Amino acid sequence: MERQSRAVSEKDEYQFQHQGAVELLVFNFLLILTILTIWLFKNHRFRFLHETGGAMVYGLIMGLILRYATAPTDVESGTVYDCVKLTFSPSTLLVNITDQVYEYKYKREISQHNINPHQGNPILEKMTFDPEIFFNVLLPPIIFHAGYSLKKRHFFQNLGSILTYAFLGTAISCIVIGLIMYGFVKAMIHAGQLKNGDFHFTDCLFFGSLMSATDPVTVLAIFHELHVDPDLYILLFGESVLNDAVAIVLTYSISIYSPKENPNAFDAAAFFQSVGNFLGIFAGSFAMGSAYAVVTALLTKFTKLCDFPMLETGLFFLLSWSAFLSAEAAGLTGIVAVLFCGVTQAHYTYNNLSSDSKVRTKQLFEFMNFLAENVIFCYMGLALFTFQNHTFNALFILGAFLAIFVARACNIYPLSFLLNLGRKQKIPWNFQHMMMFSGLRGAIAFALAIRNTESQPKQMMFTTTLLLVFFTVWIFGGGTTPMLTWLQIRVGVDLDENLKEDPSPQHQETNNLDKNTSKADSARLFRMWYGFDHKYLKPILTHSGPPLTTTLPEWCGPISRLLTSSKAYGEQLKEDDVECIVNQDELAMNYQEQASPCSPPARLGLDQKASPQTPGKENIYEGDLGLGGYELKLEQTSEGQSHLN
Amino acid sequence: MEPGDAARPGFGRAARAPPRRLLLPPLLLSLLLGRGLRVAAAASASSGAAAEDSSAMEELATEKEAEESHRQDSVSLLTFILLLTLTILTIWLFKHRRVRFLHETGLAMIYGLIVGVILRYGTPATSGRDKSLSCTQEDRAFSTLLVNVSGKFFEYTLKGEISPGKINSVEQNDMLRKVTFDPEVFFNILLPPIIFHAGYSLKKRHFFRNLGSILAYAFLGTAVSCFIIGNLMYGVVKLMKIMGQLSDKFYYTDCLFFGAIISATDPVTVLAIFNELHADVDLYALLFGESVLNDAVAIVLSSSIVAYQPAGLNTHAFDAAAFFKSVGIFLGIFSGSFTMGAVTGVVTALVTKFTKLHCFPLLETALFFLMSWSTFLLAEACGFTGVVAVLFCGITQAHYTYNNLSVESRSRTKQLFEVLHFLAENFIFSYMGLALFTFQKHVFSPVFIIGAFVAIFLGRAAHIYPLSFFLNLGRRHKIGWNFQHMMMFSGLRGAMAFALAIRDTASYARQMMFTTTLLIVFFTVWIIGGGTTPMLSWLNIRVGVDPDQDPPPNNDSFQVLQGDGPDSARGNRTKQESAWIFRLWYSFDHNYLKPILTHSGPPLTTTLPAWCGLLARCLTSPQVYDNQEPLREEDSDFILTEGDLTLTYGDSTVTANGSSGSHTGSTSLEGSRRTKSSSEEVLERDLGMGDQKVSSRGTRLVFPLEDNA
Repeated sequence: MERQSRAVSEKDEYQFQHQGAVELLVFNFLLILTILTIWLFKNHRFRFLHETGGAMVYGLIMGLILRYATAPTDVESGTVYDCVKLTFSPSTLLVNITDQVYEYKYKREISQHNINPHQGNPILEKMTFDPEIFFNVLLPPIIFHAGYSLKKRHFFQNLGSILTYAFLGTAISCIVIGLIMYGFVKAMIHAGQLKNGDFHFTDCLFFGSLMSATDPVTVLAIFHELHVDPDLYILLFGESVLNDAVAIVLTYSISIYSPKENPNAFDAAAFFQSVGNFLGIFAGSFAMGSAYAVVTALLTKFTKLCDFPMLETGLFFLLSWSAFLSAEAAGLTGIVAVLFCGVTQAHYTYNNLSSDSKVRTKQLFEFMNFLAENVIFCYMGLALFTFQNHTFNALFILGAFLAIFVARACNIYPLSFLLNLGRKQKIPWNFQHMMMFSGLRGAIAFALAIRNTESQPKQMMFTTTLLLVFFTVWIFGGGTTPMLTWLQIRVGVDLDENLKEDPSPQHQETNNLDKNTSKADSARLFRMWYGFDHKYLKPILTHSGPPLTTTLPEWCGPISRLLTSSKAYGEQLKEDDVECIVNQDELAMNYQEQASPCSPPARLGLDQKASPQTPGKENIYEGDLGLGGYELKLEQTSEGQSHLN
Repeated sequence: MEPGDAARPGFGRAARAPPRRLLLPPLLLSLLLGRGLRVAAAASASSGAAAEDSSAMEELATEKEAEESHRQDSVSLLTFILLLTLTILTIWLFKHRRVRFLHETGLAMIYGLIVGVILRYGTPATSGRDKSLSCTQEDRAFSTLLVNVSGKFFEYTLKGEISPGKINSVEQNDMLRKVTFDPEVFFNILLPPIIFHAGYSLKKRHFFRNLGSILAYAFLGTAVSCFIIGNLMYGVVKLMKIMGQLSDKFYYTDCLFFGAIISATDPVTVLAIFNELHADVDLYALLFGESVLNDAVAIVLSSSIVAYQPAGLNTHAFDAAAFFKSVGIFLGIFSGSFTMGAVTGVVTALVTKFTKLHCFPLLETALFFLMSWSTFLLAEACGFTGVVAVLFCGITQAHYTYNNLSVESRSRTKQLFEVLHFLAENFIFSYMGLALFTFQKHVFSPVFIIGAFVAIFLGRAAHIYPLSFFLNLGRRHKIGWNFQHMMMFSGLRGAMAFALAIRDTASYARQMMFTTTLLIVFFTVWIIGGGTTPMLSWLNIRVGVDPDQDPPPNNDSFQVLQGDGPDSARGNRTKQESAWIFRLWYSFDHNYLKPILTHSGPPLTTTLPAWCGLLARCLTSPQVYDNQEPLREEDSDFILTEGDLTLTYGDSTVTANGSSGSHTGSTSLEGSRRTKSSSEEVLERDLGMGDQKVSSRGTRLVFPLEDNA
């Protein structure tokens, strides 16, 4: 008898295991299908559907099949077990069934009205991931890749505007969406569609903050392919990247906001606590991410790890991952830490890596980004059918659509107006319209929404978010190309062409000078940072930059000699991207105007620019970091050659 | 109790995962509340206090607990990552200083040990406040449990089964539990990349040249070794029983199981040193090929031993029917996994051949990765062994798909799997170090351990020497005594043995096996791994042979053969018969499979009979016609150039005619031999392990095919 029961239980276990395999297999097949379809599209230059859109379509189809073609199994655990003696919910439960003790792990709390639909179809249940997977497994590579591939030069050139859009813009958008939704919720209560007291103002704000995370992958992919104006590209890209970080932290702070008595009333103390939380978490994550990147930079600088590219890549990967885990362990937001870790790694560590490792890390993260992104979008399609607690509410959905448009308008137009007051290169109207149009929602909004689907408002939010993502990705994503022509935005601008023009200040000097003077004051802070970065951080952390012995004061001579790598004295050509920063048309001019002692390095960079080889070389590095700079590289080398000829 | 009413596990693997959707009559059950398992002391205190408070507070406390648990998960992962980082840095130092006594895996184990000690003795044990209460009826162990606690519903997911005696010991230290992974992680996440990488990086040429010997070592050898170790251990167990040291049951099947898991050799350390020192390529191929296939055989063998269930009352007596059933299971699983792996490899090859995916290396890489992973999942879903399937998938991918990939994808896939392999391997080894201290159910039995050490050496000796003797009867290149000693010496145990042992640690016997395996791995990796370099010089094994310089000697030997080598020619005659089956396969591969699956090889229109001309035209890629230059033929001819095989071709068949249309550009040497351009050599070497220093040279032989005669 023992044997028989053993056989039974083994067979059961067998099924238990293989369920997991089947479920993953479904995703694998979906992704394979997506890849093949995408290839077909790319091959035929068909730009209406991006790969993420394709992944969603396949996910939807698979969800439909799973939902209606699989038989729901018999009632399994529709009953609820009452434990009288349990007064609280422990994290681990040991259940004794005859002689065996099973261990149960606490998963979550379920509100009562979810219990019945929850036990329908085991396959559907199986296909539903734990939402934390998104945050702990899938999002980090995406975000890290975004940080790692920020085009440094254009990014820093537009840093002010990007920060404004990301911080102020997200806050505005969050509040506007929250207010509009609150109005709609009130209307719904009035119409009797919603019970009073279910949906608080904080819930609306929560929705606003998660909806503020824009994710224009689709648009950016098309921009990249068509070589749209790099300024527009970097504005959108930078905004969307930082945006995510802000939205995540904002969402967290809002969910923490818990006034003492009435959850609807405003409580100044709780409000300031939330604001403090926001700032604390953001700053902490930022510090954590950068600290790990700095450690990596130092390690790669002072060891000769570059002889073993595989070890180097491994180290790079592990330390970037540690940034995420440390932040999580410290109670900060891992994703934000990973983002800044990526930015810092690109800025410093990247210069220390061997050329083999540069390619390897880039490709590794590109690959992981690709997979993770498509898995998420696939899952979104699937979730529309397999998620069992959808709450469709037409009024709410309508309101949400309206709200995101209004909020996006409130974000872009006023801020652009303000920024144009200070900007040298104005953001023209067609750029503003394009940015307004590119307010797609994507992976982050989804991940934030699925994280908590306990209460009915949260379920409603989740459903709405899902529909918004579908709509924006398909409609807006598909409409990008027509929109670009309609708005008459420069297309086919070669990014490297543009880079080439920039660093030749001789014939741009005249028109740069006057714009530059107006810029000089507003950019003071950034200029200080650039000077500091160039004189101290770069030489300390990388092999490039001027030797520390020249930039540091006399009395710290020994330290500076210790920290300066031998390469800094030797090959001045190694200065790979110092000049990217210094050479910004605006900033380089500033340096010259001030005629401060730091101008020699700056000029040095300029002089190198004049030589035919360095631009090519430097551009290759630049291109390397960019998104799939493969074609760029090719063009670049051929150009470089023609230059040489 | 009627049969099958309770999921009562025997000694089998059932203890891990629970019954899922079993229909069982309702049973009474009691709920035992294990407190503080997943929470640190502080958190449990707070939640304990919360228990008396209002429900809102409880909820908060539970949320806090979940958060705390997540935080601890992060910390434990972080521990491993920092360990790996440390290992990488130290390895760099060692490589930099050319210290060869300690391989990175050995180092990872040492660091793991250190951290294990710290965790074991440095962290406070959690005070487990137990509270047991009985609740209402439940019918069986569900995968999810809904519990109603004073009006609130909580969902619990089934994590695993705990044997009743272990309840108390389980709750010792929270941190230790945290760093103990589910053993399935090894099989489902860490081993597949390692095994795939091994398959993907098998040096094709040397591998195929020694295929017969490798297969003999892997299959026969593993079986011999398993059997001998099993028998010796049975003796040891009997001895222990007499001495009264055995406190629980230990059957003969258990001994055989131990023999199977410990037969999986994993000489990473030795191979890394060989690679670095450029030891003799044949020896390298023999060892590497053996260890790779060995793993596959050992996995399947151990699972068929587990499946051995004699009918009748005495479950541990010999039963012919059950025995043959086990053999059948072995063959079934093995061939099933093999087919599965090969089929997905072929599908990938076809997809990459007929789409122009190579314009987009990222998509291509992703497809490659996903297809290879699907192999694993598919095999698991069908009840085969995923790891074995992945191994053969890797070999097939390397053989066919690799030729269709774009240049960038080739390096991408190679590097991707290299990194994954590196990380996974070091992770496993550092986990091993950690497990010695953090695993809480060790059973140290000195007699058993000593017996096991003796057994593995005897098993290895009984495996290598007799087989080598038999193989030498048939081989042209004899396996020298020093090679045999070296192979005997290289019987390290590693990741696979560990993963197999940790998979099931429910019963007493299994725990003892696990502990012993762990110690054997430590010993072999440190002592034998460290002794490789002295051993090499002591045994006078050729060192500094550039693996890429090796082809010339082969071809030279061929020249010698042609000219004045009577002995080699004689060797070859004897070889001729035994290699017959391989020869058939090679020509089939070259004539049909390669042209169908890749862009290389002769056009199918020439190799297929006339009546399937349409099909042939449809399947032949235009490149084959277009690029008639031999450069395109990346590796189709390796197979035919094997030293021993070429000769048989020369003997048994015909002169070159131009039938294989893509050979037009090649130069003819001695009537039946052609030199090949060097580019394919380079391409071939890309697949190998770390061979940047490739000199582009190589005389290649291309032979006409039998059916053109």
